[in-house]
Amino acid sequence: MSRATATAAPPAVRPAGHAVLRGGRASFLVHRRSVVVAVALAILLACAVVAYLCVGESFVPPTEVVRVLLGRPSPDELVVGTLRLPRLVVGLLAGAAFGVAGALVQTVARNPLASPDVIGVTHGAGAATVAAISFNAVAYDALPYVSVAGGLAAALLVYVFAWRRGLHSSRFVLVGIGVSVALGSLTQLFLTKGDYLVAQQAKVWLTGSLNGRGYEEARPLAVVLLLAVPAALWAARAQRGAHFDDDTAAALGVRLDRLRLGLTVLGVVLASVATGAAGPVDFVALLAPQIARRLTRTAQIPLLSSALTGALVVVVADLLARRLFSPIELPVGVLTAVVGAPYLMWLIVRTRSRSGGTTS
Amino acid sequence: MSRPTTSRLAAQDLTLAYEDRTVVEGLDLEIPDGKVTVVVGPNACGKSTLLRALGRLLKPRRGAVLLDGAELARVPGKQIARTIGVLPQSPTPPDGITVADLVARGRQPHQKWWQQWSEADELAVAEALRRTDTADLSDRPVDELSGGQRQRVWIAMALAQDTDLLLLDEPTTYLDIAHQVEVLDLVRRLNHERGRTVVAVLHDLNQAARYADHLVAMKAGRIVAQGRPAEVVTAELVEDVFGLSSVVVPDPVTGGPLVVPARAWQPAPLQEEHTRSTTRP
Amino acid sequence: MSPSTRRRAGWLLAGTAMLLIAVLLSLAVGSRQIAPSEVIQALVHGGTSDDAQVVRSLRVPRTVIGVLAGAALALAGTVMQGITRNPIAEPGILGVSQGASVGVVCAIAFCGVHTLGGYVWFAFTGAALAAVGVYAVASGGRGGASPLKLALAGAAMNAFLASLVSGIATTNARALDEFRFWQVGSISGRGTDIIGQIWPFLLAGLVLVVAMSRGLDALALGDDAAKGLGHNVGLLRLLGALGATVLTGASVAAVGPIAFTGLAVPHIARALVGTAHRWVLPLAALLGPVMILGSDVLGRIVFPPSEVPVAVMTALIGVPFLIALVRRRTVVAA
Repeated sequence: MSRATATAAPPAVRPAGHAVLRGGRASFLVHRRSVVVAVALAILLACAVVAYLCVGESFVPPTEVVRVLLGRPSPDELVVGTLRLPRLVVGLLAGAAFGVAGALVQTVARNPLASPDVIGVTHGAGAATVAAISFNAVAYDALPYVSVAGGLAAALLVYVFAWRRGLHSSRFVLVGIGVSVALGSLTQLFLTKGDYLVAQQAKVWLTGSLNGRGYEEARPLAVVLLLAVPAALWAARAQRGAHFDDDTAAALGVRLDRLRLGLTVLGVVLASVATGAAGPVDFVALLAPQIARRLTRTAQIPLLSSALTGALVVVVADLLARRLFSPIELPVGVLTAVVGAPYLMWLIVRTRSRSGGTTS
Repeated sequence: MSRPTTSRLAAQDLTLAYEDRTVVEGLDLEIPDGKVTVVVGPNACGKSTLLRALGRLLKPRRGAVLLDGAELARVPGKQIARTIGVLPQSPTPPDGITVADLVARGRQPHQKWWQQWSEADELAVAEALRRTDTADLSDRPVDELSGGQRQRVWIAMALAQDTDLLLLDEPTTYLDIAHQVEVLDLVRRLNHERGRTVVAVLHDLNQAARYADHLVAMKAGRIVAQGRPAEVVTAELVEDVFGLSSVVVPDPVTGGPLVVPARAWQPAPLQEEHTRSTTRP
Repeated sequence: MSPSTRRRAGWLLAGTAMLLIAVLLSLAVGSRQIAPSEVIQALVHGGTSDDAQVVRSLRVPRTVIGVLAGAALALAGTVMQGITRNPIAEPGILGVSQGASVGVVCAIAFCGVHTLGGYVWFAFTGAALAAVGVYAVASGGRGGASPLKLALAGAAMNAFLASLVSGIATTNARALDEFRFWQVGSISGRGTDIIGQIWPFLLAGLVLVVAMSRGLDALALGDDAAKGLGHNVGLLRLLGALGATVLTGASVAAVGPIAFTGLAVPHIARALVGTAHRWVLPLAALLGPVMILGSDVLGRIVFPPSEVPVAVMTALIGVPFLIALVRRRTVVAA
């Protein structure tokens, strides 16, 4: 072992792939590749949005779409602005919310398979919403709160049943699957209670369909997303602590239990509100974060890119759902499942028997 | 209700327990400042548990650990992390993380959301890499390193935390003898250069005797003896704590105590075979 | 007879009694409550009162189908748990039932097959493909088919196949109502002609299962031990898988996908009579119908006058069972 002679100033050391922005006493770390990926995704998303608004029963040229978006008068205002745009907005927001929710829950569980849709959160939100509709218990504006309550209740259920002297990631996922199935059945149960018309609507809603969604559904979702932005900024920093084993994290002064709780609650709330708005669109919360992470090649799941990827997935999937078998519209959930389920299976095959570790 | 202490880190009337069993009961210990303290003892005597409590990885059932006179449990976690650095027993690095990134994580207790990478952080990490001779490894993934290198990297991370106290839980387990010496020499050097207080749990009594300024021998959750190795390490102590009859001879290199098992193995006469005990060091 | 044999026979007797009670309940309870004495009257003496009509034309077929489906699914589950050595294997969780559904739906939508005798073969194919797929995914990669991977693979397969059924159903509006059955299983509204068409297949499945039932005991000891005892492990697995597929496919073709019967019943049976399959299989065949009929009766009284499909109730009963199983540390081998 030779001693390094440190007469020269030490070379700039910083976490790999990051650039540093300094101003006064403040300093910020920026991961270069993540920025590039986010910008690319944003561009892709913009193109997808325009394509979505162009394509349909009648084709609207892109220039007209842009005019409508910019608020200028145009003959296609009805088609684009009233028919397609509201649905697009719901899809965008829901996709972003699912993406972030998936990223957060997967980080806390340290397991890509533990996604809010796999472990029953979305089904919980769905069951609560359907129950509220079937029993006519709640006013329409209060439905988003019901969804959130349902999602939180489901997450709590899974936690309670999976906890046994600590939380093993695999038991967590297994219990989550069970709770997910039970809640799905509960939803079916409530469907038989409600009247026929309600049941029909709810059934379509249950597969995750953007048909008939508009600004009413989008509003609560937009509000929550906006409020979630500062929380998301905190989460992005806090994620780094969630990576370590319990002892090392404690040694670094990280309040692991508080952190995990915060991240999980944020994730569950986002997934529940998105479900309330768009129905349980399966697999977006699973797919989007994993795709984003593979793009940015970071150890931790990037939140912004997950949101953008989620939005992109939903927009593209809904576009295909509308056009593939036109004039019949498939529910968007069918498409995401057809792609997402094989991806989940591939993830299962690739899963290394890493012990998710005890969290408590 | 804590009594005044002369050293920065001390345990008072400490009782530590896991869910079903009490491991340490009513223990008092003062860690001498600026010295290397090593805790030894047989398996399950509570030495690792004690270290974890000292580093606030474990909350005491009763009693308290005091840092600068204040109870650890009352001090915010980040503040403790700026004063006490802990290297736990089997740390797991996040997947694929590089050496520089891992060491940089050690700066977390000093960072705020608007101070994510100050110049002080850069200097501390560069220093830590230099002191542990891991600067040339800085771009390599931690998973690919050898045992000794990995241990040095973890120590670098604890170093980057820039603390006055350093606690190490069995830092030499799973290392071959050359790497064990490498790590222990580094620890000694860190103490020497800046007067850092070091507390380490070692399972090898001879290593402990070689590297410690202050040796603490534990058995069944209690301190049996403590002091300078030359005074503490005697054949009686080894018999008492480890149940091994031994001979203590002067180490040919350092002159300190060297423990050698007293009895060489001999085949027993036939009729005593099934009553022969099997205690070996 | 040794005491343990007497005890086991006793449980079989108890199982039979429970089955009879379940049958009686199934005939008596519903939106129209019919007293048990009237039920027996209607069965034995005929009669043309409204009640008798209901009993004979609606409830008897429903009950018989429930018994057949329950027995089939419970046996299939027992065999699956035996050949995979996995405590949570069963047709619903592993997506095999859903595979059979897809087969039926494809037959109706794309091949214009509308008779049970026709689409049941599609059900078998779908079930077999799903079973192979799930097992391949779960055993791929490191570690083999652990309970977790099997459950996850099953969940993924279920989601995939359910979305396929949903997609086909939506784009085939003409037959939307016909498809309802194959999205959520139910024993109501299935006529006596179904019974006549289904029982040969169930019998075939039963024969296959009985043929390899002794091997199940050996398989439980591990592949090597089973080979050491002279069994052909590959053949055993094949027969078992075939039998389970046939039983599941036939059951789904008759009543749609019903999950969790094959999960809970084998465990309960084993808890009562031990692990020897010559006792477990008969008891499972008795208790399966009890679970199905019980769930169906519950479904009738929960939200009258609507009836909750059986599959929904079995899931609500079965999931707590699954969770209790998972909490016992023996299941989790992450």
